[in-house]
Parts: sequence; structure tokens; C-alpha cells
Amino acid sequence: MLKSTIVDTRVRLRPSKKLLDLLGAQKEHLKELPANLAKVLEKNGYSIPKSTRILKDNEIVCKRPQIDVKLLDKLTANLPDVPSKVQEIDEMPEEKEEEAQTQPLTGDFLYLNDLHFLNSILIELRQKNVTNVFLYELIESCELILPENELKPRNPELEARCQRLREEQQNREYHKMTKNVDASLKHIPEDTVAYQLKSINKQIIAVAQFIFSVAAGFTFGFFGVNLMIGPLPFGFRILLGVIVALVIALAEMYFLAKKLHEYDEVLDAPKRKNKNSPKVSGVQMMQKPHVD
Amino acid sequence: MSDANIKSDRCAAGQLLDSLYLNMFHLIEAHTQCRIDIERTNSDGAILLARTKFQQGGQSISTAQIPTENSAEFNALCRVINAADDDISIERHPVDKENGYVDPLYWFSVLPPMSLRNAVDKFKRTIELIAESTNLQRELNKVLNGIGRLRQSAAL
Repeated sequence: MLKSTIVDTRVRLRPSKKLLDLLGAQKEHLKELPANLAKVLEKNGYSIPKSTRILKDNEIVCKRPQIDVKLLDKLTANLPDVPSKVQEIDEMPEEKEEEAQTQPLTGDFLYLNDLHFLNSILIELRQKNVTNVFLYELIESCELILPENELKPRNPELEARCQRLREEQQNREYHKMTKNVDASLKHIPEDTVAYQLKSINKQIIAVAQFIFSVAAGFTFGFFGVNLMIGPLPFGFRILLGVIVALVIALAEMYFLAKKLHEYDEVLDAPKRKNKNSPKVSGVQMMQKPHVD
Repeated sequence: MSDANIKSDRCAAGQLLDSLYLNMFHLIEAHTQCRIDIERTNSDGAILLARTKFQQGGQSISTAQIPTENSAEFNALCRVINAADDDISIERHPVDKENGYVDPLYWFSVLPPMSLRNAVDKFKRTIELIAESTNLQRELNKVLNGIGRLRQSAAL
């Protein structure tokens, strides 16, 4: 199993019955509702008054709230007080019961902007003295779903290909190792005259290309610049031609060296072998049309 | 303490807890996003490294090019430093051969291929993202701690 990248980074909250009940009870106070929240409410059988305006996602202010650090410090300063602990113990069983009562509703989730909306609504309602519920009391009864990696099984095709490539690699290594031991493998293909001729041919072509491009560079410097700019002294023309030819020669030299190096490597590592005829080297197979 | 006083105290604590929770959700999302970015840039860098090795051939890059214990000493180009209010940040020193700030990119070749340079950029970005992620995680821990303490406090 492979872990895939997280697609949805949003924190999700499965709404509890308590939350939905509260929203259902207060629906006449809700002038507007986010689209997602309205959908969740309707799915769970709460009707929404026609007058309620549905907000689009981008209409909701979704900003990280500032934390009043001083207040937090002040409130938590007297933490070790004994009465607070007693109170906490009193509260705990109630919460448990509530959680047991509220069965999780499957299906839809609340996202961060819904929670922001809820927060602002609850602040409003508290100011109007309609209700005295805080967001944290509602959140407590909900289930928080964190973004997680999906598990994906490894593609069997990929697995097969990896297996095949591994086998080929091992075969190649084995052949390279046993090349000078096994007499039947030894003579092909490097020892045949055709192969030697072929590789010499290739190198000759590469060198000829080099010579041609240098000559062309010289010609350009000697004639081309003269034609473009006007009559130039003979010595200067030669100098120009040599300079251009030198630049081209340098560049060409680099590629030539690279190419010749590649030939060496090709000779070193036998190409991929055909399964049916493991003793025939790929290099020979490639050149078959040219062999007598 | 009067009744109204207790009530306003409770109200303030409740709002504080609400904003702490919202903050926590924001931080979780930001942290997840950051981790995804780390994953992405890191794998991009790894792919570019593989590409370099593929283009250069398997033999051209080896561990023999990495300095050993007996090599000359050099200074780190990139350090983690403490920035303002408990955050960490990444400090980079410009390459300066005389003073021992060596660019590791040139260990492997005088003219590094483009893919290797891009890979270096990706990994540098990854390090910055990791620092960012660490800061977010610390902040998240702080918020979680705040929630825990506030819930125990007498005001609620």
C-alpha cells in the first residue's frame, strides 16, 4: 500500500445532533446561511425558511482570530486552585453522557468557514440574549476529521515492469561478468571484422563532421564578414576566419569527445537481450542488416 | 464577586476558547498545506536528481566526490537561527571560498547541469518550508496548551 498525497487539506467536522438541533431551533434568527450549512441542515430534515439568504463561500469572512494572550494568561494564572478541579470533575461525566446521546450523523461535514459563520452567529445571539451557547460547547459534541493520506495499492503493472527491469539488469550484469569465461559468448560481437569496420565508420563520420563544420566556420569568417561589412584587408579576413573556426572547433570538440566516450560505454555494456535468444548480444542484433 | 461579574468573566472566557478553537483549525489546515508543499518540492527535487543521474550516466556521480573526514573543513552555508518570538528561520550565507563557505554543487562538476541546479533550488525551498512548518507546529502546540489550560480554569 502506498500513501498518496493529501488532496483536501480542509479540516472537517461531522455535525452532532446537538448542533443541528440548536440551529433548527434558532432558524428564525438566522437571516443568512452558508451554502454548505444549509445543505447539511436540509439533508438532516430541518426545513429552512424561505427568507433565509444563502451565502456563497467567498462571502464569509474567514480570518484567523486574534487571541487575547493577556486574558488567557489572566484566566489560566490561578490554575492550581482546588475548586476548579472539583468543578471539572463534576462536568466530565455530563459531557460523556452527552456524547453518548448524540449519535454521529453521517454524510455531510462542516468546514472552516461554516464554523466562522457559526461563531459570528453565536456572538450575535448571545448579545441579543437569545441563547447562551458557545461554539466550543457545540464543537465538543462533534467529531473532528483531520485530513489524511489516502492509501492506494501499488499498481500491478508497475510492479511487473519493475520486476522485469530488475531481471534484465541482473542478466546484463551476469553476461558482463561471464563474458571472458564462457567461450561461446566471447567472440561476438566485438571480434567480427564487420563490427570493427562499422565502428570505425561511425567514428570517421563523426570526425568528418567536425572537419566540415570547422571549414564552414572559416569560410564564413573569410568571405561572409567581408561581404557583409565591405572590403576588409586580407590579413584581417584570415584572422576573422581563424577566430570563427576556432570557436566552432572548441564547441565541436566537446561534443565529439562526448560522442566518442559514449561509443566506449556502448561497447562496455551489452544492450538489452532478447528473451528467446539470450546468447545473441543486442549490439549484433542492431547491426544485423549490415552484416554479411 | 458579583453575579454580573462572574457572568461577564465566563462570557469572555467562552469567546476566548471559541477563538482558540478556530485558531486551532486554521493552524491545522495551514500545517497540512505546508506538509503537502514539503512533500511536493522534495519529490520534485528527487526527480530532478534522478534526471541528472540519468543524463550524466550512472558512473559520473559517486560518493567519492563527497568530502570525507580527511578533507579540508568548510562552513555551513545554511543555518537555523532563532528569530523573534520563538520562531525559527533559515539563514543563508553567500558563497565565499576564501572564508570556507563552499558551494557543494561544485563538488560534482565544474559546470553543473541545469537539472542539478534546479534540484538544489527545490531542496533549498524545502528547507524553508520545513522551518515554516515547525513554526506552525509550535504555534499549534501553544494553542492546544492554551485550550487545555483554559478548560481547567475556574472561569468556565
